[in-house]
Amino acid sequence: MKENLPKVLMLGWEFPPIINGGLGVACHDLSSAMSKFADITMVVPKSSLEFKTGKVKLVGANHMNLASLPNYSVSKEMPFNLHSIPVDLDPYYTSSSTDGKVSSGFYNEGKTGSQTGQFDIENLYGGDVIKKVVQFSDIAAAYASTVDFDVIHAHDWMTMIAGMRIKEQTGKPLVMHIHSLEVDRSGPQSKGWVYDLEKQGMEYADMLMPVSNFTAENIHQYYGIKKEKMSVVHNGSVAVPAYKSKKSFKEKTVLFVGRLTRQKGPEKFLDIAARVLEKDPNVRFVMAGTGDYFKSMLEQSSYKHIGNRFHMTGFLNSEKLRHLFSISDVYCMPSVSEPFGLSAVEAAQFGIPCVISKQSGVSEVLKGALTFDHWDIHKAADHILSLLNDQIFRKKIVSDAYQNLDNITWDISAQKIMRSYALNNFIN
Amino acid sequence: MTSICFYFQVHQPFRIRNYSFFDIGTNNPYEDDLKNEEILHKVADKCYLKTNQKMLELIKRHNGKFKISYSISGTAIEQFEKYRPDVLQSFVDLANTGCVEFLAETYSHSLSFVYSKKEFVRQVRKHGKMIKKHFNQEPKIFRNTELIYNNELAVFLEGMGYQGVICEGVDRLLNGRSPNYVYKPQGADKTKLLLKNHLLSDDIAFRFSDRGWKEFPLTADKFSTWVHSVAGQGETINLFMDYETFGEHQWESTGIFDFLDHLPSHIFKHPDFDFKTPSEVIANYPARDTYDAHNFISWADTERDLSAWLSNSMQHEALKQIYSLEDKVKACGNNEVLKIWERLQTSDHFYYMCTKFWNDGDVHKYFSPFESPYDAYMYYMNVFSDLEIKLNEMIEKIEQPVLVHQPNQINLEFPGDAQNLGVLIENIQQSIIEETNAKNTSLAVA
Repeated sequence: MKENLPKVLMLGWEFPPIINGGLGVACHDLSSAMSKFADITMVVPKSSLEFKTGKVKLVGANHMNLASLPNYSVSKEMPFNLHSIPVDLDPYYTSSSTDGKVSSGFYNEGKTGSQTGQFDIENLYGGDVIKKVVQFSDIAAAYASTVDFDVIHAHDWMTMIAGMRIKEQTGKPLVMHIHSLEVDRSGPQSKGWVYDLEKQGMEYADMLMPVSNFTAENIHQYYGIKKEKMSVVHNGSVAVPAYKSKKSFKEKTVLFVGRLTRQKGPEKFLDIAARVLEKDPNVRFVMAGTGDYFKSMLEQSSYKHIGNRFHMTGFLNSEKLRHLFSISDVYCMPSVSEPFGLSAVEAAQFGIPCVISKQSGVSEVLKGALTFDHWDIHKAADHILSLLNDQIFRKKIVSDAYQNLDNITWDISAQKIMRSYALNNFIN
Repeated sequence: MTSICFYFQVHQPFRIRNYSFFDIGTNNPYEDDLKNEEILHKVADKCYLKTNQKMLELIKRHNGKFKISYSISGTAIEQFEKYRPDVLQSFVDLANTGCVEFLAETYSHSLSFVYSKKEFVRQVRKHGKMIKKHFNQEPKIFRNTELIYNNELAVFLEGMGYQGVICEGVDRLLNGRSPNYVYKPQGADKTKLLLKNHLLSDDIAFRFSDRGWKEFPLTADKFSTWVHSVAGQGETINLFMDYETFGEHQWESTGIFDFLDHLPSHIFKHPDFDFKTPSEVIANYPARDTYDAHNFISWADTERDLSAWLSNSMQHEALKQIYSLEDKVKACGNNEVLKIWERLQTSDHFYYMCTKFWNDGDVHKYFSPFESPYDAYMYYMNVFSDLEIKLNEMIEKIEQPVLVHQPNQINLEFPGDAQNLGVLIENIQQSIIEETNAKNTSLAVA
């Protein structure tokens, strides 16, 4: 590594191959792109030793010898006066809060609290997440005191406490990259402990990098943070080997991909499906993914008597998912609140026209997509019917979106980040 | 005299596999042959062969005074033929004793009576032919899938010439009366009803090995005392249960076979008790009162109604969709397609989709090859979608307009006189009129 490159200490949560959603992929692709312009050290709770990430120095807390970290100590209390202690929840599905203090013995029970052992984390989101978040901050802060860097770059709320502590201890500028907010996941009324943490963290940070104007607007509206402090960095995408396959049936296929949670609007997809099928029964709707709406989707589709046209696949690996893209005619993303929405970009790469909600970040860059307000299922259905029945229109939409892809790259994202660092004098 | 009337249900479904969206339109099989074969071997070894052997022994030991009856579904017989001919042979041996009666039912253990009278008639006839072929009997007594029953069924069956019907003795319909008499159905004149004594039947079928039951352990001696206590207050004690009770639901280690072995001799200790087949019961005892089942009843779950197969929207959708194919299936004239469609009507598929909880849910789960009712529905609908595609392709190829109902074409080959046939045709025509009306109504709404 060259000495003169700026040094960035990145804090991530999920990272390939250990991932749950889009965050891990985005962190990986972004850090790889940035490593052309900076020395990147990425600290994550769990890494796989076999996994290589180019020039990025990947540090997994699970592989660290805690005894060798000079300043490592275990937090006895919640840092930054954060009071709410959650118990056993999955932050990517919902948030609820339970008031209480850190119980005694909370951090020194068993293997996870061991002062000398390694950080042992089985499941990034299962069990007591805040306990893992605080433990991660203990380790990351101790690690930070042993290395040299110019900027702290933290991704989403799970790494915020760590980022705040490192800023407090080193005085280095703190950038928070916002991929997803509690108000996206749980709705605008959510005021739980994750929300509190996000608000405090974003206020404490020197700069915010939301993944879209849509998210910047939400940060301003729901967290009261000035837009001057934000620099929008749209996600990029990695070119995938796109291909077309022959379907084993003749009906057109409309695809939904994503976690089946409120945020992604699965029930909107069902309503849209029912509406389209009223006009054209020769269409199949395929819902790929799993989540807490899974059962309800099956029940509702049967209730609407479209059980023979509405198919659920459950969780799919990437190979199966690509196959699904390769046989689909329209991609539909009816998200209620989508900070970005990378899967729409992937659909565009496969030459599939996209019908996506206006409440998504990706609609700002994938301008060729047809959009609708997530509550306007009639409009979405009309878009889908037009795309299925009007081949000329369809070709135009596909080619428009395809042209947008040139501007959706991680190199552009990385350059924008470096420029913002420099403009704010975080680096020389 | 009081008679014990044993009736055993023998049934195995053709279970479908985890048929995914990606299977639709391919030539991948619907059924899980491996699992079906594995389960059949297991039940054959644990239950059918052992119990049949025991029954044969008992009939011989008691010089033909021990009598029993079976209904065996067409899908079970097909699996015996395919995987275990020795089981089929052991039923034939029982038939040859003259002490065993075989009952009529729908071929694929289906809910066809609820959804299509025309298909119901076809399946009952097909099943009757199969029974005749293997056991040389023409069934005179009918028992519907899982004892699903209502007044309309009895009237319909009377029209088809059946002399009796087996059904559940539901407390709310008996209203304090005893199930231990022959009843007549509301609205039918000749047909008689045999009502399951659910207390005594379930003592064997469900409670036999329940260590928490205050009567545990149940001995043949004790059970016979309960039976004998009916003396003077009943004419027939109808013990109806799944045949798999012996050796499969109640394992051999519970002592169920010893119980069975000793039961007849204990029953015979009282001179006023004997065993009769359903036909004999009906011939020997008059109907003492009317049993009025306006709504559907069954022997399933604690509700004793259709809710095991028809309580949530998934079950309604799956059933509605599969029966919606009837005209096309029959129009395409392909026996293989007909067979597949028939098997997809098997009630077990819809039973697996049941989401009722509590104790009944446990039973549903025990029998289901799927992880959840939702999986059961999801995979079933994928299979359905594939069948629908293939059927539409075949119909397109033969370029023939889809046949509408043509009641005159039904080949009426069932027992009964001309008058009964007239009733049957009337019934079918009525059902067609109703169906047509329903279709028109739904079209008008659309």
